[in-house]
Amino acid sequence: MTELEIHQRGLLNLIKSRAVAPNDPYLRHVANSRELAMLREIALWWRAFQIETRCRFTSRLLKRLDLFRALVEAYFNNNATSPFVEDLSRDFLLSLSHHPAPLVRSVSQFERAFLETRAGSPEAFEVLWDRNPDILLRALEESTALPELEPRCVYRMQIARDLPQVFACSCEVVVNIP
Amino acid sequence: MASTDTAMHVRPTPALATTYEGGDPAFLESITPLVDTIEVSPDAIAHLDGRGAHLRPDVLNEYDSVLSQVNLIAHGVGLSIGSFDHWEERYLRLLDELFARFELEWHSEHLACTVVADENLGTMIPLPRTEEALDLVCKRVRLIQERYRVPFLLEHVIQLLPEAPSQFTPAGFLNEITSRTGCGLILDAYNLECDSYNQGLDIPAFLGELDLAPARELHIAGGVQHGGFQLDIHSRRTSDSTLALALDLVARAPNLHVVTYELLKEAISVLGQDAICAELARIRKVIQQ
Repeated sequence: MTELEIHQRGLLNLIKSRAVAPNDPYLRHVANSRELAMLREIALWWRAFQIETRCRFTSRLLKRLDLFRALVEAYFNNNATSPFVEDLSRDFLLSLSHHPAPLVRSVSQFERAFLETRAGSPEAFEVLWDRNPDILLRALEESTALPELEPRCVYRMQIARDLPQVFACSCEVVVNIP
Repeated sequence: MASTDTAMHVRPTPALATTYEGGDPAFLESITPLVDTIEVSPDAIAHLDGRGAHLRPDVLNEYDSVLSQVNLIAHGVGLSIGSFDHWEERYLRLLDELFARFELEWHSEHLACTVVADENLGTMIPLPRTEEALDLVCKRVRLIQERYRVPFLLEHVIQLLPEAPSQFTPAGFLNEITSRTGCGLILDAYNLECDSYNQGLDIPAFLGELDLAPARELHIAGGVQHGGFQLDIHSRRTSDSTLALALDLVARAPNLHVVTYELLKEAISVLGQDAICAELARIRKVIQQ
């Protein structure tokens, strides 16, 4: 590796908070500096701003759950984030597809499907919800109380540009077998 | 005869420019009569579709609508001219689109790195001032000069991280680039103030060493202090100190053609159109002194 490569790869690791102990004295100095903390803060602020602007429902939900900042930071640190907001938002939403909270998964899947469909994707999407998505999305929009979990229902939402209203949703009653 | 001599040495007042990133026709209409030039950032007006990144046609149409009143120049963010491996080819394709549509007086980029090993840093870092970085940048500047037959300018960026070991002074590094390639410079008065505040840059010494002849454009902006740093987030009116420094640079840089007031799109609604128009009028008045 050239000196420039060592320098830039080292700074990339530091900015992304990756646990690589730098051998280079300059990088060691940067690693402990308040300047690096500020640079990271600015980079994260911009990513959060972009995600908030484009992924409105998911951001609002994550903020209510006090997860937003931590998840944006984890995404930034662990991924090659794109300079294009379309890629950034899609990839961030995809990164939530295995989140342990079903509500986070549903809202992020819905938002990704909505953004993709609006951008002209021919793909058909399906999102499952554990509560009424219409009431939930309105609550996120209007900052009102989220609807309660409906353990006996599964809402099945289809999202596709070919559907008359783009969305279609049905409620299926879950039959508990004793 | 004396009066003729005097007339020959009077420099024209630099043109006034500002940034406009599209999507706000009312704002464009209000600023157009106040400026001579609009600075276009190809990255900021790009969108992704199924075929990759492209300039938004609606924004290009907006620029088209004011072409009879203003000139256009381009100022990129994402070229990453100093990345050790390769620059951002997607940025150049955006620039190709812009050049195919408009005549630009010149185009410019930051002397920085935004991408490392195909990973976007999410921020902009300056280059270490070494022979290796110098050779790399000069080689790429020449390629750009061959690709686009209009002047290419580089802008010094703020040094937020601690200084890396260097073989050149800040001004000496810029002098080497401009003398080896013939490229131009953007001086940024606000960036110099940030470096002075954050790193103790001696601005008079920097300017005393810098060859000011390649400077075609001067950037001014207003930012914020946060966490003990002066940040180059272009979200405010220019401070009196920035304007005073700008005025000094206008007087000293013999080939300065444009003074650009940089403002983030996100700051327009915060400052308000009226305040921005008043700011442009204030800057115009100052640079005409």
